[in-house]
Amino acid sequence: MIDFLLEIGFEEFPPSFLKKSANELSGKVVNHLNQQRIFHRSVRTIYTPRRIGVLILGLTRKQKPQVVEIQGPPKKLAFDERNQPTEMLQGFMKANNLKRSQIVVRKIKKGEYVCGKKEVVGANTEDILYEEVPKILKTLEFPKTMIWTKGGTKFPRPIRWIVALLDRRPLKFEFAGVRADRHSMPNQHFSFKPIRLEKPREYINFLRHGGVIVDPNERRKLIVKRIKKAVEKMEGKPLCTNEMIEEINCTTEYPEAVVVEFDEQYLNLPEEVLMTVLKAQGNLIWLKPTSRFVCVFSARKKALQNVKKGYTLVVGSKLYDALFYYKNDSKQGLTRMEANTKRMMWLNGLGSLYDKASRLSDFADFFKKIPGLNLQTLKRAARLCKVDLLSEMIREKDFTSLQGIMGGHYARISGEEEAVASAIKEHYLPKFAGDKMPSTKEGVVLSVIDKIDNVVGAFLSGNRPSGSYDPLAVRRNGYAVVNLINSNSFDITLFNAVDALLKLYKKDIEHEILFEFFTERCSRYLQDKKYRYDEINTVLARWKGDIVDARMRCAALKKMSGKAEFTKLVIGQKRVRNILKNVQGLGKVSTELFKQSAEKKLFKKGMETDGQLKTLFEARDYQKILDLLLAMRPDIDKFFDDVLVMCEDEKLKKNRLALVSLINRIFLCFGDLSRIVIEGEKN
Amino acid sequence: MRKLRTFENIILDLSRYWQKKGCLLYYPYNSEVGAGTFNPATFIRVLDNKPWKICYVEICKRPRDGRYAENPLRFQQFYQLQVVMQPAPTNIQRFFLESLECIGFKLKEHEVRFVEGDWDAPTLGAWGLGWEVWLDGLEITQFTYFQQAGGLDLKEIPVELSYGLERIAMLLQGVKSAFDLKWNNTLTWGDVHRQNEIEFSEYNFLAADARLLVSLFNQYEAEAVRLFEKGLILPGYDHTIKCSHIFNVLEARGGISISERAKMIARVRALATQAAQLYKQKMSEQNVLKEGAKQ
Repeated sequence: MIDFLLEIGFEEFPPSFLKKSANELSGKVVNHLNQQRIFHRSVRTIYTPRRIGVLILGLTRKQKPQVVEIQGPPKKLAFDERNQPTEMLQGFMKANNLKRSQIVVRKIKKGEYVCGKKEVVGANTEDILYEEVPKILKTLEFPKTMIWTKGGTKFPRPIRWIVALLDRRPLKFEFAGVRADRHSMPNQHFSFKPIRLEKPREYINFLRHGGVIVDPNERRKLIVKRIKKAVEKMEGKPLCTNEMIEEINCTTEYPEAVVVEFDEQYLNLPEEVLMTVLKAQGNLIWLKPTSRFVCVFSARKKALQNVKKGYTLVVGSKLYDALFYYKNDSKQGLTRMEANTKRMMWLNGLGSLYDKASRLSDFADFFKKIPGLNLQTLKRAARLCKVDLLSEMIREKDFTSLQGIMGGHYARISGEEEAVASAIKEHYLPKFAGDKMPSTKEGVVLSVIDKIDNVVGAFLSGNRPSGSYDPLAVRRNGYAVVNLINSNSFDITLFNAVDALLKLYKKDIEHEILFEFFTERCSRYLQDKKYRYDEINTVLARWKGDIVDARMRCAALKKMSGKAEFTKLVIGQKRVRNILKNVQGLGKVSTELFKQSAEKKLFKKGMETDGQLKTLFEARDYQKILDLLLAMRPDIDKFFDDVLVMCEDEKLKKNRLALVSLINRIFLCFGDLSRIVIEGEKN
Repeated sequence: MRKLRTFENIILDLSRYWQKKGCLLYYPYNSEVGAGTFNPATFIRVLDNKPWKICYVEICKRPRDGRYAENPLRFQQFYQLQVVMQPAPTNIQRFFLESLECIGFKLKEHEVRFVEGDWDAPTLGAWGLGWEVWLDGLEITQFTYFQQAGGLDLKEIPVELSYGLERIAMLLQGVKSAFDLKWNNTLTWGDVHRQNEIEFSEYNFLAADARLLVSLFNQYEAEAVRLFEKGLILPGYDHTIKCSHIFNVLEARGGISISERAKMIARVRALATQAAQLYKQKMSEQNVLKEGAKQ
């Protein structure tokens, strides 16, 4: 049994995809070992800001031997009458270096053939790794890469060393202009002297002495321990999430922690501002509600006093700026900012931010019937929701992420109602899939209004998304609209809302492309809600933009899914679709032309069902609707069994097609069931 | 007690350090720039794809950052020490860390953090990947591997180090405000700059004549284009730099809308890109001539 260490050393890696990259590397190496039949006992994935790698213990020296079968000639040509090998078989054996005892007969599709069984001796693990590791390195994928040497290798940051050590032997392959060897590098705060490794098992301890905790799990635990230790017996609660700890873990080789203080006057800043400053300064952890924070750093303990001094200075200065902006903005007040929005252009050719706010306020009327909504509050919030873009705070790039939030604070300071302030604060939510939703009704509706306007505005200003091109995040906005309307069960027909908004724009645009866009967004949303793609297609085939309704129809369909009766109904609908393909100019059904009882029966059943459906559609009882449609099946089946639709008599044929079409229309009120995919069907 | 390192000595020590690493010692550009990258010694030279090592102080003007000498860390004019090495040496990170040791930071007593910072100069059509270097939490240097300049891909990847000299000096001298920095043994940074900060803050934010600036921007832009047409690339680039600075003042002055702002950036960028492309073209033509002359 031998051990293997692979470490790729580089200058500091982007923390956001460090862990993912390390997992990809170790996963690919391990996969490769498995494929190559090389046994191993344990695997440890390594990552720090300056290295990713994998430490594999207990490898076999060679691949497991393998028996392969080489196919030879057909049996009847391989043996003569006396069951002796023919010349052909002898030739095959000679060519493949086989003995008589290794020849067996195998029955395959084409008949009986002889096969040569041959044991292939396993290759050396060393040779395989030497060959394959550089290839694996080439296949790693990153969101963003750079070049730094003539060879043009792409990697997120320059690779400066590689350790590839198989037991006591370095695998000296070359990658990105670096020759792999047995030397790793310590934490730069400790030394610049390479660490020579005799064997992989020394790695973790030797690096620890060099100021690097290479195992991310060990380091994570240490970070938590250091924070706890630093705040021992202190007032306040450290505000930190798992994501913060993980990010700290990806920027630290050797964690130490120190508590730092800031001036108490900065506690007057809104909490979000304080948190933004601390987060941007390297995930500093606030001890709420005190004027202290914890800083986790990656150097020697000796550095503690200097780190404390440095962070006191830098955080103090950032908070100074923040308070400077906050005071100026508060003094300026919303009215001044609002006046300035007239000078701030929104999208190309679509007027100023002031114009946008006016439009949002007018558009708000469309939503007035939503129960429990205070229209006055909504309209006021719509007028003011963008003014903070003119504040000093939001214009500073460190604080841009606080848009909306600052607007809420400034609204409150300027004496606006609490409900107006909350709606302003929340109207950017949700910012990404899975983000928080606005908590007040006016906040939700304002978010919907703003986002529909963002989508329509993008289409009108030539920023329609296509492929990976979506600079204004129009797709995210569209998705959020669907999500907000559905989650709040608003009785809103999206297409009508779009038309109402287009009227306010007074611009000519084919609204179909917007309808198509929102239909696609709704489809994506319903897929994320775990509805089947074909069920969604069924429901959205003739969609008018009512999201809640579409979801309810999907839910009803889902309950039917897989039932034998329902499957038969769908098959019937597919037949109907095929029959009606390319048929046009059908008149009304004329009962006088019915020749067979099945025709009469189906017609009667259809009329009956149609009558019952009306009230059910009003009540949105889709379960019952599907049951009713299902109840039509015997008559439909009977009709198709007994009646020849495409008969010679042109008049009869037309009448029968008209009947089929009538039945089809009844079905289409629910959705296009012919789009349901039946198992085993090729669509 | 450790000897106090004056501002001027820090500059001298760093310059000497990089001189020993083979850098040519150079000087700031003679027109307002926002960063050392604008200096033709960086922007134009990296286009050559030839070995080039240089070190110089740049006087950087960032009109929006003025605070009337009231903020200890923000000013509308400051000093950068710019180092460019093309191609980037493989041990450049160590060179950099040792340069910090050479001016008196013992790495064992501080934390140097390389914080991911993709660098992008939209007005120059230049971008690169690298880090903000934080010393005890304070950003002291921008460390960048250029990938593109003037919209052109670079082949010999250069590294650019931009030291923020005030911040470094503040840490070394242990003062909380740049204005208290000892420039030499008798004068402070504030003695040299306070009045300048106050007056320029007022100029940038309030007194600048926006109309005049817009008109100057247009004229310098037209002049740059005219010069490019005549094949006078470096003078044309000089006017590009002037446009860039005027844009910065206008932005501080306020009143440029988002779309106007984007348009002006695009206009400066177009000039810089043109300068870069024309320069490349001219150099390759000259090389052809030289080759021809040799034969």
